[in-house]
Parts: sequence; structure tokens; C-alpha cells
Amino acid sequence: MELQITLIIGAILFGIGLYGALSQTNLVMIMMGVELMLGGCMLNLVAFWRYLHPETYSIQMFVLVVMTVMALEAAVGFAIATQRFRSKGSVESEEASDLKE
Amino acid sequence: MTLQLILIIIFGLGAIWFGWRVFMTSSMVRSALSLLASMAFLGFLFLALEAEFLGVLQIMMMATEMSIMAIFMMMYMMDPGGMSGMDMSHQKKPSIIAASVTGALVVLVILFTNWGSMAVTVPAAARQNHDLGIEVMKRSMMIFETAGVTILVAMIAAAATALVYKKDMI
Repeated sequence: MELQITLIIGAILFGIGLYGALSQTNLVMIMMGVELMLGGCMLNLVAFWRYLHPETYSIQMFVLVVMTVMALEAAVGFAIATQRFRSKGSVESEEASDLKE
Repeated sequence: MTLQLILIIIFGLGAIWFGWRVFMTSSMVRSALSLLASMAFLGFLFLALEAEFLGVLQIMMMATEMSIMAIFMMMYMMDPGGMSGMDMSHQKKPSIIAASVTGALVVLVILFTNWGSMAVTVPAAARQNHDLGIEVMKRSMMIFETAGVTILVAMIAAAATALVYKKDMI
């Protein structure tokens, strides 16, 4: 029961994050959506560790790796936003159609 | 209902509510702070699931990361305070459909899977930390080292991406 409820919370967080990543126009807001999705994934991993394999620590290790990925995604994303803002004056994805050419 | 289940539901609802507020407010500071609150509730949820090291780590890391994010949001948004009521979203309907279909599918998979027997007890917190350290230094060392190298690569990539390039620089 606890496992299912925790997994459902993770699924809802993933859904909210997916909505944000698809619907927002600002690069920083898209990154927030991705962070929420990764948060849902981490919750899944912790729930699996707690209720299915409490003696297997590679699961906790993977939570650490996902946390690293979250931080790196933020760092590289902000670097891209900084460069984009410098060269074009905005980080809106609607105004980034020049990347298509 | 056990205390653990009650705590999971409370913290989970908090995480979902603040995660939802992130995209429902037009003020950027509120949005970043909502994400911070959502991630902190996630950390409390880890604590409720008895993964104490991960919970504390999550709260500490996300508090820093989201504070930095709030500064960046104010720097780069056209309308950081949300005073003019600009609509900062596009393709709303497809995204709502995609998100709810994905969420519903995952929930169905969760509900119709036979998860087997549940573990009742977990090792004590000190034992967990010890075993996680052994795991990191033995079997999963390669993965952990890879994460370290990836951090280095991302630092160099971020610095190189954000640099100003002028024609007469080289």
C-alpha cells in the first residue's frame, strides 16, 4: 500500500514536470519542469529501495547519480541561457526559431 | 493506517501542491520558491521513507540550487514580477494531454503490477551510511567515478558556453 502511494506521488510529479517542460516558453521554466520530472524519478528509486530491496545500496547510489544529473542540468542550462541572453537578448523558446535554420 | 503512511501522504500532497504552483503562478520568484518547497517536501518524504542521508542531502542541495535558480530567473525573465499578467506558455492543450496520458499510464502500471512482498524493516541510519560508503567504494566505484568526471566536464562546458567570444580574442 505504501509503495503504491509513493509511486503514484512520483508519477503525479512526473506528469506535472512533463506538462511544464512542454508548455513553458522560457528556458529556465523548462528546466524547472525537467527538475520536477527528475524529482519524481528519485522518489521512485527511494521507494523501491525502502519497500523492495532495503539491503541493496546500488539503488541509493543511483539516487546520488540522479541528484548529480539535476545539478549538472541546471549548470549547463544556465550557461546556455546566459549565452543566449547575451547574443539575442531573450531566453524565450518562441524566439529561438533561428536555431532551426 | 500507520504513521509512516500518514507522513507519506502529507508530504506527498505538499510536494504535488507546490510542484503544481510552480507553473500556475506568474511571479518568477514565487515559482522558484515553490519549486524549492516541492523539493524540500520530497526530502521530507525521503526522511519518512527512512532514507535519512538522502533526505538531508536532498534538502541541502535543493535549497542552494533553487536559490541560485531564483536569481537567474529574475535576470532572464521578461516579466519577473508577473505584474503585467503575461502568458508564458504555449501549446497548452497538447502538453496537458501528453502529461495526463503519461501520468495515467504510469499510475495504471503501478496499480496493476504485482510488487511481491514488502520489506517491513530497514537497516538503521548509521548502518545505511556505512553500507552505502562500502558500496560506493567497492562495487559501484566505476559509476561514482564517472559521475565525478561528468561534473568536471559539465563545469568546463558551462564555463566555455557562457564565455563571451569576440572576433579579435584569439
